[in-house]
Amino acid sequence: MKKQGFLHEFKKNRTLFFMVLPMMILVLVLSYLPMSGLVLAFKNYRFDLGVFGSDWNGLENFRYLFVSGTGWNITKNTIVYNLINLVTSQGLAILVAIVISELSGKVFKRITQSVIFLPYFISWVIVGTFIFNIFNYETGVMNNVLKTFGMDPVNVYSIPGVWPWIICIFNAWKWVGYNSIIYIAAITNIDTECYEACDIDGANIFQKIWYITLPSMKPTIITMVLLQIGRILRGDFEMFYQIVGNNGQLFDKTDVIDTYVFRSLLTNSNLGMTAAATLYQSVLCFIIIMVVNHIVKKVEADYALF
Amino acid sequence: MKKRFAKIAALLCALTMAASVVTSCGSKDDNSGTSGAKTGELDTSKEVELSIYVIGDRPAKQDEVEENYNKLFKEKLNCTVKTNYLSWAEYRNKYPLLFSSGEKFDMAYAASWLNFYSLAQKGAFMNLDELWPTYAPKNFAQQSETAKEQATVDGHYYGIPSLYKTYSAYGPIYRTDILEGTDWDGKMENLEDYETYLSYVKKEAPEMQPLSIVQEGAEIDELFMQERGLYPVKGALGDFLWLDPTESNPKIFTYYDYEETPEFLELVNRWNEAGYFSKSALSNTDTTEVENGKAASRIKNMGTYEGAHIQHPDWGFKFANFVSDVSYSSFMQDAFVISNTSENPERALAWYDLITSDEEAFRTWNYGIEGKSYQIVDGQVEKLNLEEYEENPLWTARTPGLFLRVFGSPADIPEMEASYDEHIKEDQGCQKFRAFNIDTSKVETEYAACINVHQQYWWPLELGYTDPVEGLKEYQQKMEAAGVDKVIEEFQRQLDEYLKNK
Repeated sequence: MKKQGFLHEFKKNRTLFFMVLPMMILVLVLSYLPMSGLVLAFKNYRFDLGVFGSDWNGLENFRYLFVSGTGWNITKNTIVYNLINLVTSQGLAILVAIVISELSGKVFKRITQSVIFLPYFISWVIVGTFIFNIFNYETGVMNNVLKTFGMDPVNVYSIPGVWPWIICIFNAWKWVGYNSIIYIAAITNIDTECYEACDIDGANIFQKIWYITLPSMKPTIITMVLLQIGRILRGDFEMFYQIVGNNGQLFDKTDVIDTYVFRSLLTNSNLGMTAAATLYQSVLCFIIIMVVNHIVKKVEADYALF
Repeated sequence: MKKRFAKIAALLCALTMAASVVTSCGSKDDNSGTSGAKTGELDTSKEVELSIYVIGDRPAKQDEVEENYNKLFKEKLNCTVKTNYLSWAEYRNKYPLLFSSGEKFDMAYAASWLNFYSLAQKGAFMNLDELWPTYAPKNFAQQSETAKEQATVDGHYYGIPSLYKTYSAYGPIYRTDILEGTDWDGKMENLEDYETYLSYVKKEAPEMQPLSIVQEGAEIDELFMQERGLYPVKGALGDFLWLDPTESNPKIFTYYDYEETPEFLELVNRWNEAGYFSKSALSNTDTTEVENGKAASRIKNMGTYEGAHIQHPDWGFKFANFVSDVSYSSFMQDAFVISNTSENPERALAWYDLITSDEEAFRTWNYGIEGKSYQIVDGQVEKLNLEEYEENPLWTARTPGLFLRVFGSPADIPEMEASYDEHIKEDQGCQKFRAFNIDTSKVETEYAACINVHQQYWWPLELGYTDPVEGLKEYQQKMEAAGVDKVIEEFQRQLDEYLKNK
């Protein structure tokens, strides 16, 4: 068959193209157009000269990230956090989705789901206050409990090592309800005949989950994980900022690219440095996505994103 | 065919020429317009709306206040003013973006703590060399030489400093009512006395935190340094470089170069162990612990003391200044700038001149509506209905003589201020360095990295959270890696130059 050109394709599916047009315009305007701003990363930005009129200054803006070795530390932190988050929050979401779909009793099921969903609506500002009130050395809930049991109070703020876990636990708690919805939808789509067949074969509930539910969810899980990996270098700024704030004691373990850039913008309002950090973040992100997608493609081509 | 093309080309040529004639005429008109304005005559024939950005949360009834002051401004300058608030929750991100977004607005609050100098160097504000003396002559005439020098960046005026004098006086603001009836002697002259006070609070009022510290950093170190007569090179707190004003050729140094730093670290370690401040202070965001009765004292300036006293007159608040060589704080601590995108800078300056020189305009702008949001009692201003109205947060528009003391402010403040005025001599001690502005443009990368290291390693150290010996070594090592030597070298060069011209 003769290969048809784009024009032919366009003529044939005019309506479809027309339907996708608004989305394409949106992506163009919101995602591609702003990319031109990345030239800022190589410029000595001046407000009166504007983005394109300012002078070039080579890689000077990138030097800031790596002077004194901070760049490696914050890159490492960002990746470690997102990996832990990926495993804990997705794992928990899958678990919750399975439990909720196995629950019988419509009212109870709805209530459980709503309660689990609730933290999603609490802003990080408030979560940050919770955390301070739990771990605060003098008046915190945790130390009060420890004291009533006759144990010594613990100063959590002097142990930076536990903070990755604290942050990940709260992150999972906040997102689990939201993430689980997609998995619940995937479970609802599983053909009930499969379960009926299991019942006839005498499988118990765990066997049903292991042999039917989980394998059927596999494509959804892989897609979700791939999408999350795309965000791996984007620290959830709000979360880190509200939980850790300016507490220098914890920076070694909690500083991510976003918080570091934010703090430096406060001290010298150099937009070039910020743009440099963003570019660095995006390039790394791009590499990671390409690599992971390539691996998935090798293993099971159907599940790859592109 | 060819002929037709030539015709069209000729027509196009003619059209472009005609267009260029028209546009050049237009630009000529523009030129004559601005040169006419330069003579100093303000043209108020056209009504304009000026917009200003300030920092704060918009009070509930601000619309009413705006309507009220716009009546006056319309009559005097044929203009109205729209106040835009950048809320406390978002000003940090939004403020720098104001000037890069290209949005058209006329004026803004600026301040050294909002990076006035680095924004000015990067061309965010309009050059005021000619505009300021021409259109705000009354304001210009009242400015001190020091203030004008402070407003100068690369040889040009980019902002208008505040006319209001504030002092570098700093020290504990402490409650005395909780220690009444104990054998505490009430002496408060230095950090040792303060330590005694803290120990009494710990003993007599154990439910209270003796000293409130929040995550913006403790100020004990700065108090310690200033008690020893040292001057912060930046001219404001929150930095890591110091100099000794008594030397004839002062050398800039940082904490680990100072021989008394180990002694200081011992002191804070002692305080930390005794539990005078929270062990999780660096995550504490509650800045109102003292006002809420949760803590007994904090370290701040006279303004905070005044506020605390007005709020709780019966708690016996007192303030002690530990800064041994008091000077006037930078007049750029609060400032006023004209945006680069302003279309009516002349009118904006004339307006600013009006509110900083005319009593009626000053009061309607700052205090609002008489009888509703404020009243004058014995030459002091009493603010009313604070939950609906608030003083305008353009804090720089405080002209001495027009700006009134708040009703119920502590009686000892005028006395203290008089003693500082007597102490301060131009070109002596700390005051000599007040007009020195550091220029960070050449060492921007290193300076930003140092500030980051300082926050990460010094802040926990100065609260005794890390080991005083090992921690100090680590701090020094990290600062050196961040390039502190290059920063000091550059600032030293600037300082030497400044002193040569003095």
